[in-house]
Amino acid sequence: MNSKTLILRSLTYYWRTHLAVLLGVIAGTAVIAGALIVGDSVRDSLRQMTLERLGRVDHTLSSHRFFRQAVADDAFADDETYSAAPALVMFGGLEYQKQPAEHEDATYPTVRVGKVNVYGVDDNFWSMMKADEGSKAPTAFNITLSQRVADQLRVSVGEEITLWIEIPSSIPRDTLLGGGDDQTSQEIILTVGEILREELGVARFALTPNQQLPLNVYVPLDTLQNELDLQEITASRRNPTARPARINAMMVAATRQSSLLTEAQRSADAVNESLANALTLEDFGLRVRKYPERDYFSLESERMILDNATADVGHRVAEELKMKQSPVLVYLANYFMHPDNPDAFSMYSIVAGVDFEDLDASPFGPFELKDGSLEKLDHDDIVINEWLAEDVQIGAGDSLKLAFHMVGDHGELPEEEGYFDVRAVLKLDGTAAADRGFTPEVQGITDVDDIGDWDQPFEMDLDRVTDRDDEYWEAYRATPKAFVSLSTAQSLWSSRYGKLTSLRIAPADGVALDEAAQQFEEKFLAQLVAKDSEVMKSMVLQFQPTKAQGLAAAAGTQDFSGLFFGFSFFLILSAAILIGLLFRLAIERRGRSVGLLSAVGLAPTQVRRLMDTEGVIVVLIGGVVGVGAAIAYASLMVYGLKTWWIGAIGTRFLFVSITPQSLTIGFCIAVIIAWIVIRLSLRLLRDLPTRGLLAGNTEKPLSEDDQRERGRRATKTATICTVTSLVLVAGVLMGIIPATEAFGGFSWHVVAFFLVGIAMLTASLRFLSAWLDSDHSGAVSGSGLLGIGRLGLRNASRNRQRSVLSVGLIASATFVIVAVAAGRRNPAVETPQLVSGNGGFIHVAESSTPLLYDLNTDEGRNKLDWITDDEPEEAELAKKMEVIPFAMKPGENASCLNIYQTRLPTILGVTDEMIQRGSFKFADTRVERPWALLTQNHEDEDGAPVIPVLGDMNTLMYSLKKGIGKTISIPNDENPDYKLKVMGMFDGSVFQGMLMMSEANFRKLYPEQVGYQYFLIGDRRFRRDGTASHHFTPSETQKIAEVLETRLGSYGFDVEPIGDRLADFLAVQNTYLQTFQTLGGLGLLLGTIGLATVMLRNVLERRSELALMRAIGFGTSKLAVMVMWENAFLLVWGLVAGTISALLAMGPHLLTTGADVPWLSGGLILLLVFLVGMVAALAAVAEAVRTPIVSTLRAQ
Amino acid sequence: MSDLSVQDLSKDFASPAGPLSVLRGADLAMDRGEAVAITGPSGSGKSTLLYIAGTLDEPSSGSVSIDGVNPFEKDETELASFRNQHIGFVFQDHHLLPQCSVLENVLLPMLASGNVAKEEEARAAELLDRVGLADRVTHRPAQLSGGERQRVAVCRALINQPLLVLADEPTGNLDRETAESVGTLLLELGKEQNTMLICVTHSEELAGRFPRHGRLRDGKLEE
Repeated sequence: MNSKTLILRSLTYYWRTHLAVLLGVIAGTAVIAGALIVGDSVRDSLRQMTLERLGRVDHTLSSHRFFRQAVADDAFADDETYSAAPALVMFGGLEYQKQPAEHEDATYPTVRVGKVNVYGVDDNFWSMMKADEGSKAPTAFNITLSQRVADQLRVSVGEEITLWIEIPSSIPRDTLLGGGDDQTSQEIILTVGEILREELGVARFALTPNQQLPLNVYVPLDTLQNELDLQEITASRRNPTARPARINAMMVAATRQSSLLTEAQRSADAVNESLANALTLEDFGLRVRKYPERDYFSLESERMILDNATADVGHRVAEELKMKQSPVLVYLANYFMHPDNPDAFSMYSIVAGVDFEDLDASPFGPFELKDGSLEKLDHDDIVINEWLAEDVQIGAGDSLKLAFHMVGDHGELPEEEGYFDVRAVLKLDGTAAADRGFTPEVQGITDVDDIGDWDQPFEMDLDRVTDRDDEYWEAYRATPKAFVSLSTAQSLWSSRYGKLTSLRIAPADGVALDEAAQQFEEKFLAQLVAKDSEVMKSMVLQFQPTKAQGLAAAAGTQDFSGLFFGFSFFLILSAAILIGLLFRLAIERRGRSVGLLSAVGLAPTQVRRLMDTEGVIVVLIGGVVGVGAAIAYASLMVYGLKTWWIGAIGTRFLFVSITPQSLTIGFCIAVIIAWIVIRLSLRLLRDLPTRGLLAGNTEKPLSEDDQRERGRRATKTATICTVTSLVLVAGVLMGIIPATEAFGGFSWHVVAFFLVGIAMLTASLRFLSAWLDSDHSGAVSGSGLLGIGRLGLRNASRNRQRSVLSVGLIASATFVIVAVAAGRRNPAVETPQLVSGNGGFIHVAESSTPLLYDLNTDEGRNKLDWITDDEPEEAELAKKMEVIPFAMKPGENASCLNIYQTRLPTILGVTDEMIQRGSFKFADTRVERPWALLTQNHEDEDGAPVIPVLGDMNTLMYSLKKGIGKTISIPNDENPDYKLKVMGMFDGSVFQGMLMMSEANFRKLYPEQVGYQYFLIGDRRFRRDGTASHHFTPSETQKIAEVLETRLGSYGFDVEPIGDRLADFLAVQNTYLQTFQTLGGLGLLLGTIGLATVMLRNVLERRSELALMRAIGFGTSKLAVMVMWENAFLLVWGLVAGTISALLAMGPHLLTTGADVPWLSGGLILLLVFLVGMVAALAAVAEAVRTPIVSTLRAQ
Repeated sequence: MSDLSVQDLSKDFASPAGPLSVLRGADLAMDRGEAVAITGPSGSGKSTLLYIAGTLDEPSSGSVSIDGVNPFEKDETELASFRNQHIGFVFQDHHLLPQCSVLENVLLPMLASGNVAKEEEARAAELLDRVGLADRVTHRPAQLSGGERQRVAVCRALINQPLLVLADEPTGNLDRETAESVGTLLLELGKEQNTMLICVTHSEELAGRFPRHGRLRDGKLEE
């Protein structure tokens, strides 16, 4: 006989009691380890999805500019380590109209899908994606669709669909020669050749990590090149200019796979080096044009304008080679005119901005003067050639009127006029003024024979072109007729794309032109492709380790372990309370045995150690079994995420991933919690006298004074907790408690919610404790059912701690269920309101092709081919409609819809109009005009500019983990190109997943992003003061969406009701809440089990009392009523306490718009819990009255 | 000095009507081998006196000395050890551990000092043999009759050869015949082991068989 024997005997003898504790531990372990497994599963699934999504592709390059397809071969054809696949990666829109059957008299509506990822690919890509096993790369005019696209279009294999895709323009569309109002989209009719099942990785191919299914279509690379004029052109008699095929993307697969980001970055560096060696000036759209007649060469761009970074490199290289240079900015003058004589004019001429000092000597000068002087030229001074002087009939000292187009924000071309002082007239023939090298070559303009043949994108008044103008063109082409200082030209005509049209460079002394040009070209190219080259960065001509980044991002923006831990918090709490309650019941039942051990001389510590060891053994066994249950629980949760709760993560490609670490951690946490609970339960033995224990007393005997004092203390604690809760709620409502991050991704509001919840639950339990200690609880008076009921209530106070713990179980589970129900939001109930997540708008739209023109004006709409002359209803709607455009730089989806870790979210450029308009609900942004914060530029400690941004709270707090005042480095913290500073946060807005900056800053940062691609559509008649509003009717709202999608179909314009977009975001939140509610329901189940156990125990302990009452004439029904009263009292207290606590904690949310509490279903759940609890009590009564009265009395 | 000396012992309990005095200056002195039966009406303080003598309760005033030691000067752990070494209990409710066998129940006090040696097991078996339960050593309490259970409790009280055995209504739950045999056993074993035996009982018959008989009246013990 030793203590081990005693423990073993106790374990086996009291197996029923231990089994109950064991089940509690199993539940706790299952929930804790299960939460960790869910986290592992999501993480590993995301990793697997990344691997499937990218196939063998390791590195990707996706540029907004086009370069030679041959680069892929030049860089990697002879490389055994890497293989490359050329591609075109673009956005597009799809249209499909089902054709009626032969004898069918029906017209089917056109179905449109916008913002589709269009990939022009060849067999290389297909094999790289390992897709060639199950499918074939598209050929000819076939298009391969991902299942999601096919589903949305409702199209099947063999049917024809239309693809609208933006036509690439070498000259930016929002510049004068950029082709703004030309056809911007190409319509391609294609036959659906194959529909890719979602299981195939290629159906989910994406360059940025996102678990949501992308809208992917694949078109043969050569077909797409042909349609977009990117195909190879071989020189012919008809077209003497040869041109290589072009692409804008490349995928590279490495023979040696590497999942480590650092190793992958090294591999990407090696790939980038190969790329750099293969690039030529042509790939940058640059050329060096030689002018042997004047012995210099010129650096020009096919974009017409040299971007600043490129010009800087050119300038630097020329300096290094000691070559003289002359920067030039030319612009098209619509006309020059004598200020007082409208008949003296010259149409469509070039004016050049130059540094006149560069023109003093050969080869750029000198200018020969016919009249006037070139000394000290001022800002308003101009120098003209003799041809122009003759046309406008003026000379040196006269004034000259110059008209030219400006390019407006919305692509409009207002004509500006300026007056210049003519300082000199230049001789033309045979002089530097006749140099054609001032103007870079522009296809369709400088290479045509007649002004009338110009392929210009704006309207020309050809009627005013004179014979003299034609003669000049024939003789001198685009040679400037006038010159201003470079600074004057740049102040008038430079754009965000650059401030020079060419850089003319003369060979160093003694070096031949060809040799000098070659020297320059080599050195210039070397600097262009150098690592960290600004030009490479701005063109995004760099490979990224996409697979490694995707695998790193799989760590996830949301820690699902933590999330499910949080979800399960109250379930774990319930399990812990249940373990404590059951263990306590077990100890109480063995009180006499404990007393005996003490009486025979075992020290209190020995007694407690014996009990403790017993508990630990039960806990350990429970933990081990619980680990198995955890796997089952996690499997159920993962199944739930793939099915019932698919809204939370939006993918079915999840699998259960079990790691020993998670199981061990879950086991340890659960065992430690259970052990702590058991130790706390054992504390009750500490204060109990042995004599009392021997007599079966397990409640500490208290004098009435002590009892009153205990009641007073409980009331005091309860009052403090209640006041604290009210103060916290008021703090949140008044904005004193911020919504910023407190810790670990939890905002102060969430912290306040938990504190209010815990404080209110504590208050309710302390109030109950105080009441049970008071005289009121013991007062038995009255007659009939009321009297019996009072007796029932008195019984509740007999085992005060038992009653309080049971109520605690019920209350905490009720709290979860009610709080979750109160947390639901329904955007459908949110009407357009200025201070809300919809900002007063009705629709949100995105276009595949950027729109330049203003949809709010007839002129803008007309330029977009939206003519409403024959559609009075449309015209009326268009007039009532207000469209706020945003410039957009697509990035990763940083909304809650994406569970990958995001780095570079989509950026929106906010127009001044929107900044003025304001609206939307902000969180913790306590300034009168939050949008105006976007116009305040800042600097960091090093004096570098920091750009102010606004973002949605969810995006900032949970995806990017940045609060107000924090800076975000783009593209990463290690090597930032620029920094953004969070100035304010939207609250539950449609802008989830994006960051907003002023359009001015946007255009500076992303000069290549043209026009607008994101739109908010509202009602022009909507009153901005919010006091009264005029909204579109539902039919008008729907009509607007239809009209916009139809009229702007070629731009891939995709309109979505703003409520639907918000609903998508809220679906995630609501789904999480649903998950939470389910787990809360399990907690309530545990609570009900706990209460039922307590009631059964109470009734069994009182069996003799009940027998006695039966003996003296109480019927079974009356006894049932008595027990039910007690049970109902505890149940109702728990349910009401949980409900009030939850409603108070959720008070701030309930007062916001969009709160959509399912009162009925929530109430029904609570009623169901009440009924189940009452049935359990009834079962306890039935058990108690089952034994005959006499034997029960005798047994006692 | 006597082996057990209880002097001027008082014990008060709190009650709504103020302190309730149960013992008011009770005295008792005993030496090894002596046996005392204490009787008195319900609520007279018999069990209170017994539990104080057994160190399971503390007096409000007065002193207790067992083998020359004031046990109430010891801390909790020392007191438990003292009780284990010097005192044995027999309760009205036998208080056997239902999960343990007869032999294990007898050996229970030995657990306080660690593992049980073979000799101690032999001694327990001997005691059980002495009370006529040699063939029941492996049985569980639930398999025994009331008298048998109480005999096991007596063996448990004596296993550590205590100086003092305290019996609280040891025959209260037994029929007359069984009560008589248990009483006899207590007295015989007490004598054999040269221990002091105090037995609290309502049974005048049992009390009459004890060499000394005290009555508690008005909180004082009268012999």
